[in-house]
Amino acid sequence: MTSFKFLSCFKCLAVAAGVAAVTGVGFLYSGLYPMGADDHHNDLTYWALETLRERSIARASNDIEVPTDLNSSERLLAGGADYNDMCTGCHLKPGKTESDFTLGLYPAPPNLTLTGDRHGHEHAGDTDNDDEAIKRQFWIIKHGIKASGMPAWGPGHDDQRIWNMVAFLQRLPELSPQQYQILTARGADDAGHH
Amino acid sequence: MKRQSLSYFVALPALLLALSAQAHDPKEHMKEAQAPDCAAMKDMDHSKMDMKDPVMQAMMKKCMKAMHKDEEGSHEAHGDKGQTGHGNHDEKADEKKPAKHQH
Repeated sequence: MTSFKFLSCFKCLAVAAGVAAVTGVGFLYSGLYPMGADDHHNDLTYWALETLRERSIARASNDIEVPTDLNSSERLLAGGADYNDMCTGCHLKPGKTESDFTLGLYPAPPNLTLTGDRHGHEHAGDTDNDDEAIKRQFWIIKHGIKASGMPAWGPGHDDQRIWNMVAFLQRLPELSPQQYQILTARGADDAGHH
Repeated sequence: MKRQSLSYFVALPALLLALSAQAHDPKEHMKEAQAPDCAAMKDMDHSKMDMKDPVMQAMMKKCMKAMHKDEEGSHEAHGDKGQTGHGNHDEKADEKKPAKHQH
């Protein structure tokens, strides 16, 4: 009697799972989900994707070792020039509050001239200066994030060059436009920093 | 014919790979390189500057290099023939010279 109940319950679950799978695949093929970047996700989808992203990055970046000399002037100079060349279009610079990319990308790229708790993204670390947040930044620059507009810089840049950018990010929120200009300008003899 | 199409298959990815590698070479960015605006440092509040701060140290290094380069340029412009030993200046000498101009 008990085994009969278990069997019918199992059948119910199997049927329910089958219906859910068919409905899900049907929805995928229906083309009903809006994919335009100007048509935002509903709260549930956004939460699910954000949780998926943050948990994945936290797990993947857990074993990264942070260099002890991250707060050195040489790293700031090298990382600053690269940040200016590669990142400002999306992540801005002191004195700039928006760009075509910040207006058009979805999810909007974080404004890295603000500290982690001010640029409006839910993620590890209350500020940008704890180890977890630093590892997270390194991992994201190196590997990028799928379907977000954030490319993986790892294939063209070695780890030291990426750490230089991470070093610069730690000080970026406190820089004035003038300080930023001096730190990031590539003089004619600047190639030696890399 | 086969060889020709095969060479396209090989050459195209090789070209794309070479271009993608070049795109991230810092030398590529040199074409549009801006000079550091070191004159702005004069307007900053020097009493609030902490010389032990890596940001300040980085700015000083950057401006010392830039000013040293300017000096070299002006020497060349004046036809200074006594500059042959200029490139042998060590790092400390480079740092001392422009510091006098900063303060």
